Amino acid sequence: MLDLFPSREASPFGRRWKRERGARIPVTVVTGFLGAGKTTLVRRFLGTPEGAGTAVIVNEFGAVGIDDALVRDSAEATVLLGNGCVCCITRTDLQVALRRLVFDRERGTLPPFGRVIIETSGLADPAPILQTFSTDRALGGEFHVDVVLAVVDAVNGETALDSAAEARKQAILADRLVISKSDLAGSTTVERLTRRLQQLNPRAAIDIAVGGALDPRRIVEPATGERSAFVAEAEHGDGVVSFVVAQEAPLEWPTFSRAMETLIALRGSDLLRVKGLVNVAGCRGPVVVQYVQHLAHPPVELQTWPDADRTSRVVFITRNMAERPVRDLFAAVQALVKSPD
Amino acid sequence: MTATDPSPLTKGYQPVTWNFKLLAHDMLSGFGGMGEGMSVQIAPDGRRIIWLAHESAPKNFTAVDVSDPRKPKVVCQTDLPHANMRSNSLETCGNIMAVAYQTSKKDLQPAGFELFDISKPENPKSIGFFDCSGPHSRGVHQLWFCDGEYVHCASGSRDFVPTNALDDQFYRCVDVRNPSKPVEVGRWWMPGTRQGDNVMPPPRHPIDKGFRAHNTNVYPQRPDRCYLAYIDGGMFVLDISDKASPKKVSQWTNSPPYTGFMHTVVPLFDRGLMLVTDESTENNAKDWPKLIWVLDAREETNLVPIATCPLPDHTIYAAAGRFGAHNIHENVPLPTAWHSDQIVLGTFFNGGLRAYDISNAYQPKEVGVFMPPAPPGAPTGTIQMNDVFVDERGIVYTMDRHIGGLYILEMDF
Repeated sequence: MLDLFPSREASPFGRRWKRERGARIPVTVVTGFLGAGKTTLVRRFLGTPEGAGTAVIVNEFGAVGIDDALVRDSAEATVLLGNGCVCCITRTDLQVALRRLVFDRERGTLPPFGRVIIETSGLADPAPILQTFSTDRALGGEFHVDVVLAVVDAVNGETALDSAAEARKQAILADRLVISKSDLAGSTTVERLTRRLQQLNPRAAIDIAVGGALDPRRIVEPATGERSAFVAEAEHGDGVVSFVVAQEAPLEWPTFSRAMETLIALRGSDLLRVKGLVNVAGCRGPVVVQYVQHLAHPPVELQTWPDADRTSRVVFITRNMAERPVRDLFAAVQALVKSPD
Repeated sequence: MTATDPSPLTKGYQPVTWNFKLLAHDMLSGFGGMGEGMSVQIAPDGRRIIWLAHESAPKNFTAVDVSDPRKPKVVCQTDLPHANMRSNSLETCGNIMAVAYQTSKKDLQPAGFELFDISKPENPKSIGFFDCSGPHSRGVHQLWFCDGEYVHCASGSRDFVPTNALDDQFYRCVDVRNPSKPVEVGRWWMPGTRQGDNVMPPPRHPIDKGFRAHNTNVYPQRPDRCYLAYIDGGMFVLDISDKASPKKVSQWTNSPPYTGFMHTVVPLFDRGLMLVTDESTENNAKDWPKLIWVLDAREETNLVPIATCPLPDHTIYAAAGRFGAHNIHENVPLPTAWHSDQIVLGTFFNGGLRAYDISNAYQPKEVGVFMPPAPPGAPTGTIQMNDVFVDERGIVYTMDRHIGGLYILEMDF
């Protein structure tokens, strides 16, 4: 679109932001299998200073878990908690709930919350939640998912991972993994579960919560640093693999975006999550890119790189799609785009 | 999740900090009723000093060492000669500071502006004074001093007899190249506001605040232009290529139907935009809405309003004190000031400090709010944020009008 009022301060991607979420409301998605201890973790967080001013959305997605007993009395309602927090229970539509939170805040009927925690159903696939923020332009402009956190029960976690594909997917797509109820399991069990989780998701840091208590910063801090760690292609089970595409030389934006468009057109449903920093030619800061299956989040240019490394690094979590063809595709598109005339 | 006790913060007015980090708060030795003058000097010894104007007597100005923004330290605080005056505005340029003096009644002194050598911040030395007193003058309300050569100000004058007593201050340009002998080089007033003008005086507004000058901004990108806010007269672009004879280029006003008191005009040259602010002057939001307006200024003779910066529901803010726009960060053309044509920071009295992203000029979006709890002893029971300045490091300084003094913040977006 022709910009009538161009600014030399702006980048091709708009204003350069200090961080990926810009000025949007940060969102933490807390996922985890049935009985993993999500509610306990969220409750403990709300009692900490960092938890003040949090809006909690308990998203049931039609699935009835045991958490339902806790929320039954106030279902489909927004309720006010202590500590300036609000809690909204929705069994219908996450988008409606999020929009209502913003609307009520603007009207002054809700406290000016500064963070949202979405507590998912134990059977929920986190991918549709991530998609919500890229499919809905209004929500994507107001909210940003800073971290996806998967809670895994130390006692029953391995069984759940063995038996339920949902539990595996939650662990695979998480930015950060939290082992709960470690005080109820033996150290050998916890160590074995840790190794299993590392195998499933080598990118994610693993924290141990004792009695539901976790350093509140681990619930709110964006996981960018952890996610950018380089990993070799890893097999997670269920045909899911993860790998990093990296390139030292700056990339032309058309090259990168066209390669991604091609991938999405051919294998969008198998791109479970793609996220990383791209060194775009002509940009001062790194450009954060994120894709969930067929959907691309708007790219965001940051003011500065997180460190001295200027390498583009994009983590792919895919299903039945290996690293090599993706690299080959990028190389082919790059060669074509570079061809003069 | 279960419901627990309803929060007292569920409805109505409440403090909030959103995308700002508070680094420090200084009540300024108990004299924290602050005006609309904020200017940063790098002293000869390397210290970073912010000079602050007070809203009213007894204090004249305060200097705060903000070299470490987390540990501000008052290094100088001076007194006015008497209580029937105020020094609401100031600017520094290098080691010279200009301070506006406005008296509460006409024909009092000192009314005008004073120049100080501030090379030793603990001991500012007067080096010049420009007298603007007179039987119809209250002196200088606001001044602009960025090039070290000229002071542009909203001032009365001994020889100026307004058609209405509220219209006493007009645009004056004063040569201060010899600080000990400031000389007026030019002036302009809205036609009809001076006795003897050959046009009728302007019709008064229902809330009559006067047809007189307020901010008088001049930028090096267009040294031939003065961007002049004229309270109930709206705003003017003046051609000052001949300083002795300023000429009107264009005018824009929102009033009526709005309620006047246009305060500041900030051009965003690269983008062909202009920011224009109102000032809220009535308690309990009686003059709502007072806004920051975004104008398409690509054609300076045909200014077109295209957006305003959105404010929350005013009924929440009508309980105590003023609510609405006032000062904004003005991209002062000095190396110690932050410059942006993407972000607007403004003060809104009990609405606190608010930041807007105007990268889409048609849809300004709020990206930050700082509404601290009422400072101890606040007469309205709320903050009344009055002015804001951002230094070249991006550190934000904002002040309370009544008692709260100085708040130092970091933009977190």
